[in-house]
Amino acid sequence: MRIEWWLLLSVYALSTGILFLIPKNKIRLATVAFLFKQIITFLIGLVVVELELLEYPVRLFASINRTSFTYEYYAFPVTCAIFTVWYPHNRRIFIKLGYYITFTSILTLGEVIIEKNTDLIKYIHWEWYISWITICLSFYLTRTFCTWFFAKPED
Amino acid sequence: MKIEYFILAAMWIFGFISFILFIPRKERRKGFLALMIFQAFIWLCDMPSFKYGLLSAPVREFPKATDLSITINYFFYPVMFSIFYVKRRVRGSAWARFKYFFVWISVLTLFDIGIERYTDLLEYGYLTWYGMWIYIGLLFCVSQVCCNWFFKDKAFFQAERRET
Repeated sequence: MRIEWWLLLSVYALSTGILFLIPKNKIRLATVAFLFKQIITFLIGLVVVELELLEYPVRLFASINRTSFTYEYYAFPVTCAIFTVWYPHNRRIFIKLGYYITFTSILTLGEVIIEKNTDLIKYIHWEWYISWITICLSFYLTRTFCTWFFAKPED
Repeated sequence: MKIEYFILAAMWIFGFISFILFIPRKERRKGFLALMIFQAFIWLCDMPSFKYGLLSAPVREFPKATDLSITINYFFYPVMFSIFYVKRRVRGSAWARFKYFFVWISVLTLFDIGIERYTDLLEYGYLTWYGMWIYIGLLFCVSQVCCNWFFKDKAFFQAERRET
């Protein structure tokens, strides 16, 4: 089996492992973060592939879908769920900023390493900092949505 | 412009208007959650269905990126489910609830069949009309069970509110 398939498999295993880190009393928060993230990643993922900004040579459901199902449907939403669950909401602003930067940087670094060494993703008209900015922005949007969703109703 | 694109645009406009119109302000969270859960399931089920030729979408929004239909999967059916979920009567008899479910599924299936027959937006492969009925019914059932789980415990939901 090619290294790419092993990687995909380990991404599934790792993401599923992360699911077990979610505390039981925050399952609903994690669910909302997960689902909302999917809404963002699906649409943006399709748009960037349609515009040929990047491609995923090795992927699941290859004959019908040119985006990365693993990343967009499962791995990234799971990461976002754990991001939202662990978010230090009552800490100082620069701890929050650092939290954003750490999460985004780890994900971007992983993506760049995978891009350089495997066929899972290839940048065409894309740079690592575009990844960084979009990932960070999507975290922010998801958190904003979650705060709205779990806020006290105004009536 | 082809008729298909008009129908796609109509689905977006009609979907937006009905989401705003039929989902009261107080229930908007419920509506969003139902929409998102249905969307997650329909993507997951449509991937293998399209791959193994149950159905296909000859005219679609992102022909290069995916063979799936975005408007239907991403927006229109999730909005329909969301309205179905918010508008359903929780305290009705089992028969009334079944009728409600039956009518919704049947109307959506009719719509789907109409699109299949008269436009190129959808094309059934191995799928038959009753297959589609069962398919939509299953998606509705599973999504409803998940939504019910989410809103099952009011106290729990409130506790999580403070945690955000």
